[in-house]
Amino acid sequence: MNDKNIMESHMGTTAIKISARDVKVYYGDNHAIKDVSIDIEDKTVTAFIGPSGCGKSTFLRCLNRMNDTIDICKVTGSIRIDDEDIYDRRVDPVQLRAKVGMVFQKPNPFPKSIYDNVAYGPRIHGLAQNKADLDDIVERALRRGAIWNEVKDRLQSPGTGLSGGQQQRLCIARAVATEPEVLLMDEPCSALDPIATAQVEELIDELRQSFSVVIVTHSMQQAARVSQKTAFFHLGNMVEYGETGQIFTTPQDPRTESYITGRIG
Amino acid sequence: MSTTSLLVIAILILATLGYFLASKRAISTAGGDRRKLHSLPVYYGSNAAMFTAIPALGVLLIWLLAQPMLVEQNVLSTIPDKLITEGSSIGLVMSDVRRVADGLEVVVSTGTLSQNETLKLDTEQTDIRALLAGVGAVVGSDVLPEVLEAAQNYRAQTKTGQLWMVLIIAPLALIGFALSVLAAKPTFRARNTVERGILALLVFAASLAILTTIGIVFSMLFESINFFKLHSWTDFFFGGSWAPNFRGDSDLSILPLLWGTIYISITALIVAVPVGLFAAIYLSEYAGPRVRAFAKPLLEILAGIPTIVYGLFALLTVGPALVRVFGRGEEGLLGVEWMSGATAVLTAGLVMGIMLIPFVSSLSDDIINAVPQSLRDGSLGLGATPSETIRQVVLPAALPGIVGAVLLAASRAIGETMIVVLGAGAIAKFSANPLEAMTTITTRIVSQLTGDTDFASPETLVAFALGLTLFVLTLGLNVIALYIVRKYREQYD
Repeated sequence: MNDKNIMESHMGTTAIKISARDVKVYYGDNHAIKDVSIDIEDKTVTAFIGPSGCGKSTFLRCLNRMNDTIDICKVTGSIRIDDEDIYDRRVDPVQLRAKVGMVFQKPNPFPKSIYDNVAYGPRIHGLAQNKADLDDIVERALRRGAIWNEVKDRLQSPGTGLSGGQQQRLCIARAVATEPEVLLMDEPCSALDPIATAQVEELIDELRQSFSVVIVTHSMQQAARVSQKTAFFHLGNMVEYGETGQIFTTPQDPRTESYITGRIG
Repeated sequence: MSTTSLLVIAILILATLGYFLASKRAISTAGGDRRKLHSLPVYYGSNAAMFTAIPALGVLLIWLLAQPMLVEQNVLSTIPDKLITEGSSIGLVMSDVRRVADGLEVVVSTGTLSQNETLKLDTEQTDIRALLAGVGAVVGSDVLPEVLEAAQNYRAQTKTGQLWMVLIIAPLALIGFALSVLAAKPTFRARNTVERGILALLVFAASLAILTTIGIVFSMLFESINFFKLHSWTDFFFGGSWAPNFRGDSDLSILPLLWGTIYISITALIVAVPVGLFAAIYLSEYAGPRVRAFAKPLLEILAGIPTIVYGLFALLTVGPALVRVFGRGEEGLLGVEWMSGATAVLTAGLVMGIMLIPFVSSLSDDIINAVPQSLRDGSLGLGATPSETIRQVVLPAALPGIVGAVLLAASRAIGETMIVVLGAGAIAKFSANPLEAMTTITTRIVSQLTGDTDFASPETLVAFALGLTLFVLTLGLNVIALYIVRKYREQYD
């Protein structure tokens, strides 16, 4: 992990937010993830790239224990966030998910008003003292989701009525509203057009100020644009992890090189 | 064997013959090379069979329906008026004529008398009633000469009709046969023709269901109009008392029955909706695949139990159990005397509720499953518990569909008959006490139409007005329910 030092020069912090060791995931008999070890830094955008079915989304879902909702899924190894093992018996996955927010591939606003969509998390976790407080949280989240100006006049209209790009930014605002420490994004732009994608990417760059962002993406250009660190997954293995610039210019592993030059994938 | 069945058999044999001849001819005209044919030989054969049988059988069907009506019309005009004034109605005279005519046909077919001998029969010389009774045809009274004459007339006309029927239908079948066999050439597009025939069959099947519905509505409508000629409609819809009396002068108002129907249905829904909905939530959100595979079919068995069995359950188990709790004075469980008999609103409502549980749960289960998994993921990903997710995301998203399911259940409850016949009692009254016997629209329809009835008195005709009201009520509920369910579906497609 020597390349980390290069990062530090412009990041300023070296705090490791998530530390995974020997993580293995099984779906029934299928061995989906094989011995992945990775350190994800705070206030950094980390991209997971790789061909379809390589396990990058599965690994992402391990980080907030969303895999628990799938009956046949089994996770071994250790994943520590802020030095706390999230697969420890004493950890409540519900509380963990409040700390590790998630944005999904397809925009999934609830069939509620825009306001209620954003207020959903804060209400559940009791983050607001009163109505004014909640209004404040909602406005702040929508501003951070870069969608406030578009929706401020119609907060009571349904979130499902927005366009695809707006819906995805609403979902990001919704995730941000619960004040998570880590934000996981599972191909957040794959259902969006190029303009909406550009808006979301810009947003991701801003979110880096406050969170550690982990993004799974199919687009190598997107990984190159938004991330500081990149991990390449292939067939359930993490092949290479390093500074984004280095992965894309001088990959160490022949498989990484084949993938980013378009020969496999 | 009658002329008609011989004709049908002949047509079918011709059609089979056509099938083989046409497929053979198609191959031979193609010089034995099947690849030169437009369609497979099967299609040429089917085409021939189709054109031989369907027009002939169709005309036959129409003929069989139309001929008795026309003959009857003709015979009716020859019957002198004095016969009708003696009897109660023209219908009764006509049925006598028909019975005599049919009886004479039987006499001929059993060989008691020859065809010519029956034509020469005379009421003065022969006891026709005894003659007919001898072959098992029973006529109510002695046969009058006019009736015999009309019967002979009826027989003669029927015979002529049958002759014409054969003369028209047999050539029709032969023409269809000849044309379609001759058409079996390589260039003929038999496959397309046969497929159009199949399409016509499908359209016929679809329209049959719709036409039947329309027919039912109209028959109800006409009988209801007859009822409203005899009984004022304001009293029927707005009167407050139900007391049918077969000697006439009855109180026939729907309101007490409607009250009983709605009260029992609401009781049933109060039981069925929470239980069914909770069962659906458990099955779709919490139950593992093994529990689900076992519990869901088990729950749906409830839906397969005939409602009469539920009725017996109400009458023999639930009713007496309720009496043990709420009745019998000092001997009862609560020591009260609120309930006297096993039949009560609560008895019928509880049992009907049990009947509706699988209905509500299986519909709600489908609707809850239709809520996209991404919404659940989104909620869980924000740190909500599964129960918060269900309450705040899944159920609100499924709510319109669930409302539709409940309305469908309500329309079943309103139309349900057997449980209320056995469990609810027969007393029509306005009461808010669920431990009293009450009655419903469906129960009264059953009781108005069972036993000796003549369909001319308001006491029996009221059943049609009740039925029509019930139909409109459930139709309205179904339309609203389907509208809501459909509107909801559009949200996620």
